[in-house]
Amino acid sequence: MAGTDIAVTGLGLVTPAGTGTAASWQGVLAGRSPAAEDPLLAGNPVRISCRVPGWDADALLGARRAHRLDRFTQFALVAAREAVADAGLDPATWDGARVGVVLGCADGGPGTVEQQHRVLLEHSADRVSPLLLPMQLPNMLAGQTAIELGATGPNLVVATACASGTSAIGAARDLLLLDRCDIVVAGGSEAMITPLVMAGFARMGTLSRREDDPAGASRPFEVERDGFVAGEGAGVLVLERAADARARGARVRARVAGYGASADAHHITSPHPEGLGLEAAMRAALADAGAGPADVQHVNAHGTATRLNDLAEAKVVRRVLTGDPLVTSTKGVTGHLLGAGGAVEAAFTVLSLEQQLVPPTANLTVPDPACEIKVAATATATRVDLALSNSMGFGGQNAVLAIAAA
Amino acid sequence: MFETLKEILVNKLKVAPEQVTPEATPQDIELDSLAIVELSLVLETELGVTVSDDELLELATVGDIVALIEERSARV
Repeated sequence: MAGTDIAVTGLGLVTPAGTGTAASWQGVLAGRSPAAEDPLLAGNPVRISCRVPGWDADALLGARRAHRLDRFTQFALVAAREAVADAGLDPATWDGARVGVVLGCADGGPGTVEQQHRVLLEHSADRVSPLLLPMQLPNMLAGQTAIELGATGPNLVVATACASGTSAIGAARDLLLLDRCDIVVAGGSEAMITPLVMAGFARMGTLSRREDDPAGASRPFEVERDGFVAGEGAGVLVLERAADARARGARVRARVAGYGASADAHHITSPHPEGLGLEAAMRAALADAGAGPADVQHVNAHGTATRLNDLAEAKVVRRVLTGDPLVTSTKGVTGHLLGAGGAVEAAFTVLSLEQQLVPPTANLTVPDPACEIKVAATATATRVDLALSNSMGFGGQNAVLAIAAA
Repeated sequence: MFETLKEILVNKLKVAPEQVTPEATPQDIELDSLAIVELSLVLETELGVTVSDDELLELATVGDIVALIEERSARV
């Protein structure tokens, strides 16, 4: 498969652990969750969230530009700029027609929708902002990124709920393998921490209710886990065919060696209890990478810290991967970045491969004995040649990336 | 009135203050058709002056917008 390998040449991150890849990675390695009581959720049944700390879109993007962007697009533009610069690429000089953008999100801009709906109800339709649709439409994520970067190649947004970021990277890999373009800016972004969305999550019973201990609320694979903590942010990777990347002298940070996707076709929100869909996606990713079940040393798990997800995922990891891989869920620190989660975790997996270092699963005080896998409680230096990054979305959509060391 | 309009453009539409001059065209201050609709909305809510986006689109400069707002305000 070496000839069809896809290289990761750039990373950009905006996460609750920090703005920028270095800050985010340091935050995740430190293993402390920044989750806190959220003043914007004052009237909600669950008031904990994991916000991007000190987000200042005006300073990062300019006030005029930021004014016309929903928060989810703001995150993406900042992460995309970082990733492109990290790849040593310059949008002023590249052939934009050969640059694609594939980004994922679960929901678009619900913050803008809720704000403008309030205007409609409290005033009138005539007062609704003309920017409502250009700000909130999910596809603006890729459209605005194309405008930002002058990227005129294939452009799309992928929505597979909490697997969106992973699906986007998989779709980007396919575009490159089909020679539809030479470079893809791929990843995911999400800003869904709004009163209405969070009320919906709370009513579904998916959120942690550990209100007295926000930093301890996201506890993937831990015996007392009781749901996820919503996070926000963006992860962007620059992908190129490995041969092209090497030819231009780019630094190959890791390789997206394989991708697998599937649907549970089982239930709208619960994962298949035996994780059959996830298993199919993991096996497909391994086959795509030309690897076997014993070849994986590390899994960056979906690990949302809901009772059902972690149990089902642990069963599959145990059943499919025979090399006793070291599993982590970085959601213990970042919370669940929903449609951005898979992209952010793919970036963390790249860093694990580069640094041979698996970040900790925060709050893993007592590992759940029902989850019969090896979970990293602390940052662990270990040999990693091949890793999987798993994502599962509401709707039963599963996406798995096999990422290999450069 | 120029200062009032400038304040609206800067504070509500986030136009860079140094760009706002009486001679500036909508293009100069990056007012596309969406921003023109936004401006029409803000003029109504902030100043109580009704100027449609179609009317604004026909004006060549910031100074022309000021003149029309002054004319409309005088009538009120």
